[in-house]
Amino acid sequence: MDPVQAAPGVYEGAANVIAAGMLLIEFGMLRQALARDQIRLYMAQSALLSVLAVVIAADRNLPELYALAALSAALKVVAVPLVMRRLLGRTDPDEGEEAPGVAGSHTLSPASAVLAGIVLAAYGFFCAGALGIHSPDAPVLALALAAAMVLVAFGLMIVRRDVASQAIGFFTLENAISLAALVVASGLPLILETAFLFDLLVAVVVFGVLIRAHHARAESLSTADLTRLRG
Amino acid sequence: MSAALPIPVIQLLQVLTVALAAPGITGVIAKVEARLQGRRGPRVLQPYYDLAKLFRKEALAPEKVSWFFLAAPLIAVTAYLTIPLLIPVLTSYGLPLGYMGDILGGGFLLSLASFVVATAALETGSPYAQLGSSRAKTFSAITEPVVLFVVFTVALLTGTDLPYALAATVRSSAGQVIRPAHLLAAAALFMVILHETGRIPVETHTGTNEFGMIEEARAFEHSGPYFALLKWGSELKQLILFTILADVFLAPWGLASTQQLGAVILAIAALLAKACAVGCAVAVIDNSFAKLRLFKITEYVSAAFLIAVLGVFTLYLGGG
Amino acid sequence: MLGVILVLLIVPLAASLACALLPGPAKVGPAVTGTCGVASFGLVLALVPAAAHHDLSYLSYLRVDALSAIFLLATAFLYGAVGVYSIGYVRHHGRGDHYARRFYAGLNLFAWAMLAAPLMNSLALLWIAVEVTTIISALLVAIEDTDAAAEAAWKYVLIASAGLGLGLLATVFAYFAGSQVLGEHYNLAIQPLILAGPHLAATPVRLAFLLALLGYGTKVGFFPVHTWLPDAHSEAPTPVSALLSGSLLAVSFYAILRFYQFTAAALGSGFPRDALLAFGVASLLLAALYVFGQRDVKRLLAYSSVEHMGILAVGVSFGAPVALAGVMLHVLAHAAAKGNAFMGAGVLTVKYGTKEISTMRGVLDLLPWSGPLFMLAIFALSAMPPSGIFRSEFQIVYGGLAAGHNVAAAVLVVLVTVAFFGLTTASTHILFTPAPRSLSAAAAGPSDPGEPSAWMVVPVVAGIAALFILGLHPPGQLIDLISRAVTQLGAVR
Repeated sequence: MDPVQAAPGVYEGAANVIAAGMLLIEFGMLRQALARDQIRLYMAQSALLSVLAVVIAADRNLPELYALAALSAALKVVAVPLVMRRLLGRTDPDEGEEAPGVAGSHTLSPASAVLAGIVLAAYGFFCAGALGIHSPDAPVLALALAAAMVLVAFGLMIVRRDVASQAIGFFTLENAISLAALVVASGLPLILETAFLFDLLVAVVVFGVLIRAHHARAESLSTADLTRLRG
Repeated sequence: MSAALPIPVIQLLQVLTVALAAPGITGVIAKVEARLQGRRGPRVLQPYYDLAKLFRKEALAPEKVSWFFLAAPLIAVTAYLTIPLLIPVLTSYGLPLGYMGDILGGGFLLSLASFVVATAALETGSPYAQLGSSRAKTFSAITEPVVLFVVFTVALLTGTDLPYALAATVRSSAGQVIRPAHLLAAAALFMVILHETGRIPVETHTGTNEFGMIEEARAFEHSGPYFALLKWGSELKQLILFTILADVFLAPWGLASTQQLGAVILAIAALLAKACAVGCAVAVIDNSFAKLRLFKITEYVSAAFLIAVLGVFTLYLGGG
Repeated sequence: MLGVILVLLIVPLAASLACALLPGPAKVGPAVTGTCGVASFGLVLALVPAAAHHDLSYLSYLRVDALSAIFLLATAFLYGAVGVYSIGYVRHHGRGDHYARRFYAGLNLFAWAMLAAPLMNSLALLWIAVEVTTIISALLVAIEDTDAAAEAAWKYVLIASAGLGLGLLATVFAYFAGSQVLGEHYNLAIQPLILAGPHLAATPVRLAFLLALLGYGTKVGFFPVHTWLPDAHSEAPTPVSALLSGSLLAVSFYAILRFYQFTAAALGSGFPRDALLAFGVASLLLAALYVFGQRDVKRLLAYSSVEHMGILAVGVSFGAPVALAGVMLHVLAHAAAKGNAFMGAGVLTVKYGTKEISTMRGVLDLLPWSGPLFMLAIFALSAMPPSGIFRSEFQIVYGGLAAGHNVAAAVLVVLVTVAFFGLTTASTHILFTPAPRSLSAAAAGPSDPGEPSAWMVVPVVAGIAALFILGLHPPGQLIDLISRAVTQLGAVR
C-alpha cells in the first residue's frame, strides 16, 4: 500500500467525512440507554444524510437530488421521529416521558458493544474494499463506510432487547442503505426514491402499531419474555 | 527587524517558550472558565505565583521512600522539556535536534514521564496516591494505543513519522484539511488530551474530589519544590499536547519559515494564541458537561479508540 | 389485455377499501372478498393464453410475461379459494365486527400487493410491492391479539424488514451495474437489464445476486433466515397462513428469479445456481429435521413450506429444462396443496378449538368431508401420485439426473422422503386414531360429527381437484405457459 496518499478532492473528502460521521453516530447509538436519546441521534444521522445528498448534488450536478434531500429531511428528521416519539410517549403517560423496559436492555455493556462494533465495522469495511468496485463517481471509501454501518446496525438490533431500540436500529439500517444508495445510485429516478421514502413512513407506522400492541400485552417494551414460540 | 537568529538560539527559544508560557496557559483557562461561570476568577499570572510560593517551601517525604521518589519529578520535567525540541513549536522547518526523535519518540517521552510519576506515587504507600496511579495506568492502557493509532495516521498520511512533515502536508491544500483521516485523528487526539490533562469529562480540575481523582492524586505525597516541579510538569504536558494538536493537526499556520527575528516573535505570539484558543475550547467543555462516573470513563476512552481506528481504516481504501 | 391488468390491480384494492369503510363488515366483508377473489382468479385465467405466447407490457411499468403469469396464477387461485374459505372461517371464529372489518380489509390489501408484485416491470417497484406485503401481513399476523401472535408478528416484521433492507441494497447494486451500461437515469426495468447482461460488470452483479438471495430469501424462508416463518405462519389466522405459505413465499421467490435472470445473463449460470443449491439443500435439511416432533399442526405445515421452497431452489439450480418446468409446476401445485392443507388445518382448529396435534383425534369420523380432504392434501404435499406435486418433483429429479447433478438429486430425494415421514407421522395421529369414547364430555373434545361450515369445504374440494388436474393432465395452455417461462429463465443444459 502506497504510504503517501494524495488527498481526495474537497467534495469527495466532505462526502467521506459525512459518511464517517454517520458511522460514528451509529456507534453512539450503541451507548444510548434512553429511547428519546436514540431518536435524537437518529435525527442527527438523517440530517447528515440530507447534507450528504446536497453535497453530492452540488458535486455531480444533479438538481433532482436537492429535492430528494429536502424530502428526506422532512420525512426522516421531522416526520419519523415525531411519529416515534408520539408512539413511545403515549405508551405510559403516567410514568412520565420514558418508555418502560428500554433503559436496561443491553445484552453487552456499551464499551464491549463498541469493541464488538469495531470488529463488525472492520469486517464490513474491508470486505467492501476488497470488492474493488471502481467508478469515477462512487468513492470507494464512502461505500465501505456504508457497508460497515450496515453491519453495525445489525449489531445494534442484536444487542438490544427492547422493541423500541430494535425498531430504531432498523431505521438506522435503512439510513445506512440509503447512504449506500446515495453513493452508488445517485442517479436513480426521483420518483423511485420518493416511493422508497414513503414506504419507509408506512413501515414506521406499522412498526409503531406493533410496538403498541406489544406494550399493551406485556406492560413493558422488553422482549426478554418473548420465548413462547420455540422449535 | 531583519536580524537572523542562529539556529541553536531558535532551538533554545522553543524550549524556553514552552517552559515559561505553560503556567500562563493554565491561568488563562482558569480565568476563562471563571468568566463563563459569572465569576471574576483568579488573575491570569496566578500559577506563576503559586509555583514561586511552592519553591520556597520546605520539602517533606514519607519515611520509606527511596531516591526515586525525589528524582521522579526531575525526570518528568526533563522529559517534558525535551519534547519541544522534537515537535514544531515555532518553526515550520526541522531544527537539527528535532531529528533526535520523531513523533513516536515524543509519545514515548510523554509516557516515560507519566510512568515515572506514577511509580513514585506507588512507592509512597499512601492510599490516595496509589489510587490515582492505578487508575491512571488503567486508563492509559487504552489511551496509549489511541496515541499510537494517531501516530500511524500521521505516518500513513505523510510517509514519515516526522511531525514537521505532517504540518507541511496539512498546510498544502484545503483538501488535506478536510480529509476524514485528518479530522478523525485530530478528534481522537483531542479526546486523549482531555484525558491526559485531567479535564472534564475525565476528572474535575478544580478542587480535589477524592473518589474521582486521577491526575491530582499522583502528586499527593510530594511537597515543596518537588510538588512545584510536578505542577509545572503537568502544565508543561498540557501546553505540549496543545501544541501538537494545534501546530501539527489543526492549525499549522503562523510558524516561522525563516530565521528572521520578526518571524520568530510572530511565531511565539501565534503559538500562545493558538494554545489559548484550544484552552478556551477546553474551558467551554469544562462548563458544559459533567464528569463521567469512573466506570463510564472506559466508554469515553473506547470512543476515542474507535475514532482513531476509524481514522486509520479510512486511509486504507484511498479517499481518506 | 391492458384492461384486464388494470382491473386486476383495481379490484382487490377497491375490495379492501369497501371492507374497511362500508358499514356492516360482517355482511359486506365476506361477500366482497369472496366475489373479488374468484373474479381475480378469472381475470388471471384470461391473461394466461395471451402470456403463453408473447410478453405483454404497458405503460412502461406494467409487464406480464410467462414467468410472472405463473406466479399470478398461484396467487390468484389462492386468493379466490381463501376468499371463499374465510366466509365460513370468520363466521365461526366468532370475533365480532371490529375483527371482521380489519381482517377483510387486510386480506384484500395483502392479496392486492401480492398480485401487484409480478406485474411490476421495475426492480424498484418490485421491492416496494414486496415490502408492502410484509407490512400488511405483519398486521394480519398480529390480528389474533394473543401473546403468541404479538410475539410472532414482531419477529416477522423485524426479520423480514431487515432482510428486505438487504434486498434494497441488492436493488441498489443492480442499479449500479445497470447504470454503467444503460445510462444514469436507468429506472431498473427488468428486460433491458437482462438484454444488457453480457456487458454488465461482474462484481456488482455478483454482489447484487447474493444480497438478493439473502434478502429476498429471508421472505422465502431459506435457512438460516427462516426463523420468523414457523411463528408467523402458525400464529396468523388460517386464511392468512394459507396465503402466506402458498403465495407470499412464491412471490418472494419470483423476485429472486428476476435477479437470477440477469445474473445468469451477465455471469453465466454457474455461480447463481451454486448459490441457490447451497441455500436450497440447507433449507431442505432443516425442514426435514424439524418436521419431526412438531406439536402444532400449523407449525408443521410451515416447516413443510420451508421444505418446498428448498425444493424450488434446488430445482432452479439443476438448470435442465425439465427441472425448470418442474419448478414452475411446483409453484402452482404447492400453492394449491399448501392452501388445501392450511384450510383443512383451519377446519380442525375451528372444530377442536386448538392447534395441538395431540388433542386432535378421530378426524375421519368427526369430519366426513374435511377429514378425507385433509388426508389427501397431506399426502399430496408429501408428493404422492397423482397429485401435481408428485409430477413436479419427479420432473425436478429427472432434470437433475439428466443434467448430471446426481448427488444433489439423490440428496433431494432422501430429504423429501424424510419430510414425508415427518408429515405422515403427525397426520396419521390426527386422522386415524379413533376418537376416545370417554364419559366426561369435557375431556373428549368435540364429539359431534359434522362440518363447521360448507364454505370451508368447497374451496378445499376445488383445490384438490386443481391438484389432480395439474398432476394428471395439465391443460395445454398451461403447458405452453410453462415452457415459455422455462425459456425465459434461460435453461442451460
